[in-house]
Amino acid sequence: MHYPLYIATVIGAIALLLMMPRDKSTKWIFSLGAILGASAFAALLVYLYDKLPQTLGLSQGAWPYYYLFSFVAVSAAARVITHSKPVYAALWFILVILSTSGLFLTLNAEFMAMAMVIIYGGAILVTYMFVIMLASRSAEPTDDEDETPKYERVAKEPLIAVIAGFTLLSALLSVTYSDNHTRNQDALTIIAQANTQKTTIEKIQDANLQKSVDIKVSKQDKILNPTSTGVNNVHHVGHNLFNQHPLAIELAGVILLISLVGAIVIAKHHVEPENG
Amino acid sequence: MDPLSSIALSHFLLTGAIIFCIGLIGFVTRRNMIIMFLCTEMMFQGVMLSLVAFSKYHLNFSGQTFVIFVLTVAAAEAALALGLVVLLFRKRKTLDALAWADMQG
Repeated sequence: MHYPLYIATVIGAIALLLMMPRDKSTKWIFSLGAILGASAFAALLVYLYDKLPQTLGLSQGAWPYYYLFSFVAVSAAARVITHSKPVYAALWFILVILSTSGLFLTLNAEFMAMAMVIIYGGAILVTYMFVIMLASRSAEPTDDEDETPKYERVAKEPLIAVIAGFTLLSALLSVTYSDNHTRNQDALTIIAQANTQKTTIEKIQDANLQKSVDIKVSKQDKILNPTSTGVNNVHHVGHNLFNQHPLAIELAGVILLISLVGAIVIAKHHVEPENG
Repeated sequence: MDPLSSIALSHFLLTGAIIFCIGLIGFVTRRNMIIMFLCTEMMFQGVMLSLVAFSKYHLNFSGQTFVIFVLTVAAAEAALALGLVVLLFRKRKTLDALAWADMQG
């Protein structure tokens, strides 16, 4: 059992509750929540850092970037849902996207990282910003000098939402950090040892034919380590996409076509503004 | 390319789960309809991070392929949802989701 995980989850819930926009907005409550949440997440990462094995499976020097990008992603995500101005929330969301693509880069998913930046940061977020600008003139009367309307500044049901969300989070974490993983880790190390033993035996057998061993090793390397042979991430994703999911491509095309038709129907629909 | 070790995998799943849950909380608490749909996009981000981490864990590129389909669905959802939001805004001149609370019957 990882009790610090649940303690950090509860502290994070309290911090997010303090950061929620409220009617009489006091700056120091927000700052307190931000500091509490940042320290809870940092303490969680430090606690989990102790549990790390030697073999991570990441490329050399990529692991510190996991901490950097996940910290930026989580804090920017918290800011998206607590900022009272929609344009700034969208800008913080771009930061979430950028740090998520940084996490993709640490996972050797270069194509997905670039696709995220281009499609999400470039296309979808511009659409969102466009609609925010288009619909920003609210007819609701503003009561004080703050020009944002009241529905932006007050969260609805923050307590229940935070409790529900963090209950889900702790359930997910209890599954993720159950003790089954250590057994998987043992199996992985056994497989790795068996592989090394196999290569040693092969080398002894083919001691006279060093060349053939080299060819074998390079073949094995080609299977185990595809990036070393000039076949990059884009090739693999494209190969997988078109060889194993042809039906899904067709379905994605149908989804895009239907949404295109739907968007045109919605946009052509003329509505009269109702009074009251 | 080495497979991701399972403890490193659980780190990435942790980040994905936190981003997903923050998006969920934002969808429930925010009253601006545009920000509500922005929060669904944030939930997609958490799921995509988990998919890519699993893809590296199993050394199977289907995880990354599915991110492409998630992107497709996200683009379709953004187009339709923003069209609906603009329609609702033209009707009542506000982005407040509670302005449409009479629809819950």
